[in-house]
Amino acid sequence: MEHFNLVCLETDVAGKPQRAIKDPVLLNDKRVLANLLSTEDKYLPHTNYFNCVQTDIQPYMRKMVTEWMAEVCSEQKMEEEVFPLSVNYLDRFLCIRDIKRTRLQLLGAACMFLASKLKETSPVSGEQLVLYTDNSITLEELTDWESQILQLLKWDLSAIVPNDFLDHILHRMPLTKSIQSAIKRQAQTFAALCATDVKFMVTPPSMIACAAVRTALRNLNCDNGRELLTLHDITGNDMDLIRDCTEQVEQTISNCMSSYSSGKQDSHKQEQPTTPTDVREINIMSVDNHQGVPVIF
Amino acid sequence: MQKYEKLEKIGEGTYGTVFKAKNRETLEIVALKRVRLDDDDEGVPSSALREICLLKELKHKNVVRLHDVVHSERKLTLVFEYCDQDLKKYFDACNGEIDPDVVKSFMCQLLRGIAFCHSNNVLHRDLKPQNLLINKNGELKLADFGLARAFGFPVRFYSAEVVTLWYRPPDVLFGAKMYSTSIDMWSAGCIFAELANAGRPLFPGNDDDDQLKRIFKLLGTPTEDTWPGLTQLPNYRPFPMYHVSTTWQQVVPKLNSKGRDLLQKLLVCYPPDRMSAEDSLQHPYFVDVNPSVK
Repeated sequence: MEHFNLVCLETDVAGKPQRAIKDPVLLNDKRVLANLLSTEDKYLPHTNYFNCVQTDIQPYMRKMVTEWMAEVCSEQKMEEEVFPLSVNYLDRFLCIRDIKRTRLQLLGAACMFLASKLKETSPVSGEQLVLYTDNSITLEELTDWESQILQLLKWDLSAIVPNDFLDHILHRMPLTKSIQSAIKRQAQTFAALCATDVKFMVTPPSMIACAAVRTALRNLNCDNGRELLTLHDITGNDMDLIRDCTEQVEQTISNCMSSYSSGKQDSHKQEQPTTPTDVREINIMSVDNHQGVPVIF
Repeated sequence: MQKYEKLEKIGEGTYGTVFKAKNRETLEIVALKRVRLDDDDEGVPSSALREICLLKELKHKNVVRLHDVVHSERKLTLVFEYCDQDLKKYFDACNGEIDPDVVKSFMCQLLRGIAFCHSNNVLHRDLKPQNLLINKNGELKLADFGLARAFGFPVRFYSAEVVTLWYRPPDVLFGAKMYSTSIDMWSAGCIFAELANAGRPLFPGNDDDDQLKRIFKLLGTPTEDTWPGLTQLPNYRPFPMYHVSTTWQQVVPKLNSKGRDLLQKLLVCYPPDRMSAEDSLQHPYFVDVNPSVK
């Protein structure tokens, strides 16, 4: 008698599933963080491809496509890592193969397709992604590009993203539970914002995580002047580099805020949400979405 | 695929047929796992994708090695290191007797494989004898990572569609979706008892209720006192208060006292109290493990 079938206990929960508790076994085990730190470089894009690989793609196009990807991930309420992970695939692909601008959105969609399958319990469907491009791509193209990405990246998809470090860092900082979750939410937003900015393309994820956490601490007035040292102790990252990176993150946030407010003045048609006057209000993952609007260059 | 000469079919995996094959150039024997891609609008199945992406990272002697992936028009072939049999077949062939040193060696290797996966942020989630491969040299390797997943934090609830019934922990049986590394540790405990009893499964339940009853008859029915939050679990339902009437000596008569102590630390209903793989390896039971395993 065979009893080896898998019995599904999961019932459909209305809305999205809640989060799992943190696992102390993993957070307290130093090797988990050490392994993350020692493997993160392996997945970094190795070059600024605009100068040496791409003949058509410009930095502003990367910004457009990644912002569109952030919107789709947010709309689909995908897990936090899906967005940065898919941007990682996009960059690594563009380091190797020159593509036309008209294929960039297709590439972005295929990267999300893969990252979602890897990370999510119920991955986004190909059909749904095609809809998000306003049918400018076909399902066949999507699966075809999926295999091209897999071959080009040699199936190395378990890339490490800044989000992977956040819990490990926060767990080792002297913070109360409620502050910790507030810091984490902001740091996630800042890290997502960094993924849309070309200047962080080759910055190691642990560095972005440190800078995002430090920015969030300062922003919520939870800094005590010792966090540079603490972040250095936890990740081994150089303190000057963390300081520089924090400045860059703050610059990116302020750029985002100013384009946000000027965007409101410039555009008559678009209904923007209220202009944020404080970084706390910025949330790239929830800018009002224009579902189905394709990226048009 | 001309590189490999198919020899025989060895079984069905989570998502396709497995063949034994020979590399025509090196004459190396490998296992080929086929994944068909036709009629599938969703491209590469997520289970195959996870298995490949996770296994590429996991290079350890107690984890089955993925040598190569051949991606052709309508199918995907995973090329694995070949192992002679799985633990299930080993049980079938052992005639009800496994040497205590072999039990210890297998258990040690199982825990090392799990500890390695956990330290690399990977949960197996479907540990059972069929997924543990054994080669001629007595090396044990974790295989079939089709349900495994990497867990960056935060993790949302995992799908409950995991772990074959007999090796499923009570928290998952009550619908908890917040399990983490502890799920693999329960399965390891069940497999430990099965090894010690030469292949007799510890909790061969027929359905969820029967499974829980078997567990509680051995360990005692948990209460809100022994398991805070128990009654809040999604599929919680009351069970009779079973008195523990069997001793561990009766359960695993051939296992020594240190082994019984380790087993009891793995088979704990309340997930946070279940021993981790890393800690289990430090348990006195393994002090005299066969040096060839060390």
